[in-house]
Amino acid sequence: MSSNLLLPEESSSQTLRRRLLAVAGTVILVATYLTLIITQPMGIVEGLGQGVALGTFAAYLVAAILLLLAVLPDLPVSTLTLIPVALALNIILGQFVGSVMVPLYLDSIGTVIVGFLAGRRAGAATGVLSTLVWSLFAPTVLPFAAGAALVGFLAGTAARFGALRRVYLAPVAGLVAGVLVGVVSSPVATFVYGGTSGVGTGAVVAAFRSMGDSLLSAVTKQALISDPGDKAVVFLIAALLVYALPKRLSGSFAFVRRYRVLGKHVSK
Amino acid sequence: MPRLPRLHPFTTLALAVAVVTMATAASIWWLSCAVLALCFLVSGWSGHLKKLAMLSGAMLLPTFLSLLLIHGLIARDASPAIAEWGPLRVTNHGLEVALALGLRTTVLVVVGLLCGLLIDKHQLVAAIDLSPVPPQIGYLLAATLFLLPQMAEKQRQIGEAQTLRRMGTGSGLAGWFQRVRLRAVPLVLGSMQDAQDRAVHLSARGFPAAGAHTRLRTVPDSSMQRGIRWTAVICAVLGPVVILALARLGGR
Amino acid sequence: MDKKLSHQNTSVLGLELSAFSYLDAPASVLRDIQVEVRPGTLTVISGHSGSGKSTLGFILAGLLPRYGMDQLSGAIVIDGTRIEFSSSSTPHIDIAQWAQHVGMLPQDAGHYLSGIRGTVAEELAFCLENDGVPRAQMHQRVAELAQRLRLGHLLKRHPQQLSGGQERIVALAALAISEPDVLVIDEPLAGLDQQAAKLVLEMAALLRAQGTALVILADSIRFWAQEADALWWLDEGTLKPHASELLGDHESAGAKPRRPAPSDSPLVLSMDSIRLSYPGSDKPAVPDLDLQLRSGECLGLSGANGSGKTTVLKAIAGLLRPASGTMSLTGTTGLLLQNSSDQLFERTVLREVSFGIPKKSSLHQRIAEVLAQLGLESYAQTHPYELPASARRLLALATVMVREPKILLLDEPTEGLDELGEAKLRAIIAAVLARGGAVILSTHDEEFMHSVAHRVHHMNQ
Repeated sequence: MSSNLLLPEESSSQTLRRRLLAVAGTVILVATYLTLIITQPMGIVEGLGQGVALGTFAAYLVAAILLLLAVLPDLPVSTLTLIPVALALNIILGQFVGSVMVPLYLDSIGTVIVGFLAGRRAGAATGVLSTLVWSLFAPTVLPFAAGAALVGFLAGTAARFGALRRVYLAPVAGLVAGVLVGVVSSPVATFVYGGTSGVGTGAVVAAFRSMGDSLLSAVTKQALISDPGDKAVVFLIAALLVYALPKRLSGSFAFVRRYRVLGKHVSK
Repeated sequence: MPRLPRLHPFTTLALAVAVVTMATAASIWWLSCAVLALCFLVSGWSGHLKKLAMLSGAMLLPTFLSLLLIHGLIARDASPAIAEWGPLRVTNHGLEVALALGLRTTVLVVVGLLCGLLIDKHQLVAAIDLSPVPPQIGYLLAATLFLLPQMAEKQRQIGEAQTLRRMGTGSGLAGWFQRVRLRAVPLVLGSMQDAQDRAVHLSARGFPAAGAHTRLRTVPDSSMQRGIRWTAVICAVLGPVVILALARLGGR
Repeated sequence: MDKKLSHQNTSVLGLELSAFSYLDAPASVLRDIQVEVRPGTLTVISGHSGSGKSTLGFILAGLLPRYGMDQLSGAIVIDGTRIEFSSSSTPHIDIAQWAQHVGMLPQDAGHYLSGIRGTVAEELAFCLENDGVPRAQMHQRVAELAQRLRLGHLLKRHPQQLSGGQERIVALAALAISEPDVLVIDEPLAGLDQQAAKLVLEMAALLRAQGTALVILADSIRFWAQEADALWWLDEGTLKPHASELLGDHESAGAKPRRPAPSDSPLVLSMDSIRLSYPGSDKPAVPDLDLQLRSGECLGLSGANGSGKTTVLKAIAGLLRPASGTMSLTGTTGLLLQNSSDQLFERTVLREVSFGIPKKSSLHQRIAEVLAQLGLESYAQTHPYELPASARRLLALATVMVREPKILLLDEPTEGLDELGEAKLRAIIAAVLARGGAVILSTHDEEFMHSVAHRVHHMNQ
């Protein structure tokens, strides 16, 4: 009777399956990325590369979904209730701050907060889910799910290795994350859509192309201009918001306690 | 949408995916335009025409402009230029490429948005819950969709309350930062505390379900729809392969 | 008192607690508590805000101690099984299984509801859905429950469009569907008007009638004292039997004779044929309002939900411009909104109250004064979100009072306040009136309104 009220230990076959899913997802992502970089199909000019477009879209999306399925069953319920809040914050805070004439997206503040508080797996899951939900309103974001997962993953990694203990380290971590995400997502913009979705970014890409760059390097350079700055600001804002939380709330996350994510500058 | 027959959400999604992948693979302008016309027809029939037009327009205009800048202005192929100013070089081919890419994105956006407008959220969540995917996915989708308007309302209330404090009138970067802090921090604090409070009760109600789980709500389905779904998925995967292979053969 | 619980098989829940402390908090919140709950009984535990009632409720429901975080030493006997807790061995509780025996309704019923179901019927069936109960059976059980608890008319409604009282009874029904032996209910009547409170009381009676034991955590025992089988008072972390003198005290506290309204003091507010409407709605929220307020006067606004009381307060505070009519105002206003804790954002209470006040300003001395007046000095360095509910409401009031408004506007000020808090609120209102200001008050609490307001304006709708 008493065993009825107490929880059993987890079975190891479950963890194996999840590990396989995570590996499969990562392999697909890396393989697609490398293939695109190495072969650099110039289909855009000679016939529009529809096959490449569909292949890239499918590969990036499938990879993101496999990573999501690998991570999801592990997440505790307190993280599961946090994720919808993070997704809503992504949209609301992004809109609010973006309403000023600042050329930043700032649409991943929620994802980064989850990465800081609940770890890199939760952060990655939040990134993918954010994209999936957002795709109901803007279908074009779907293949960027992998990049969004990467943001959350890197946020969790940064927090784990102490980048959050001093607030000024957060934007530095964001800068690095922005570089990585920009590089990973550029092939999507190039080969699936043949360019970018904003007029400002389009102008930058056009400028690089006029100087002789191929489309992929032009898009990558444009990404390296805007993404690191954007992510640095996002990481900084997310860090400030996490420090504004009462200790009772931030301390209730096992990840925060285990890796001593937050420094001494926390409220009592 | 009283006039549209009750389609299972997955049927709508499967058909959408098949249409988008095959239209993209074929890349024939009149086919894509026909698909768009069909979408607008369906949206008109179900009463969403204006919304579809406005949403897709808002999303596609910057895209088209960007593509025109990238491909229309800086064409580097050998065809004769229509106009040239320094590094800028406008060619027919370049404009064609820009328009074709834009059309490809348009098909994705319009079909996708139409799906979003036609599918009932509650039915979609129930369909996901009843499928073999982990129960967390249905929960997360539903929670986000229903939480968004609540949080937007809360944000509005916070804005009101902060107006009463008569602060946030500073100028310059510091004043802007103050205003952002005033609006963002209470929202984050409140919603995250709320999320934590909810978690334990959700666990107490047995979520996430460890074993089999059911739903009270029924999602109408039929074997014909299942057949359509399977056909659509097969077309979505094999269709582009076949089309591209044929195109390559035809090109040779 | 006998330390050991009687192992009678009539008791469905027993708690033997030596000490309980939260993670990272050195002091124990609860000490030396014994509670035994028999089937079908009504146990009432009352205490001030922050005394640990909710903590005790969570412990009974198995939601505390959190595994690997909080510390509980003692034992719980649930349906014959004894579970030991100590600092060396904390069992990992299956919360969902526990909830089949002891359920809990938190102070905010919305926290219990899933928020992801489109109809009340599905909300009720949520537990069953997670258990994998077949659909036909679920329909049957939901229908049975709805009939037994008289909820049939709510089954098709959207859970997020329910009123406060309806939300609570739906949550209670959702708890009851798993047929637990005990239901712990935290502040069931807080924030409800009379009608809604009646609904909840009726539901509680129905639940008891079918054999469920109820443990009610309440600030005031007024509604429960007569029927309770056990009355406890939680003070300084431990339970004491409720003294009946305290009962008498509660009743006499509010019965102060009201001073007659001053009729010759200057007008501070005058509203003529004011029409208020929100942008985007064709019907005006307030069609035609004439209102006058004199210095030293306290006016109560009464009316049903939706009659526009909050709208009037917002208009006076300057948040909403009248569509037509004239309004003249002397002096500054201060408005305490209903969800005032929504606006808190600083890291400590002191910073929250000093927000917006430059160091050199004359208002700076007011900060310490206001904190002392509202009993918040000991909390000066605490994060607002770590305050007990009553203190948090008082903090919001402090942020309004620190600016010394001439006209104080209060929207449901008693909500969330315990009795001490209410006393502080009365003192504040008296102070404002004494220095020549005026107060407008909108509340469901008829008793409070009649004991404080000089006259009452009825909003007609």
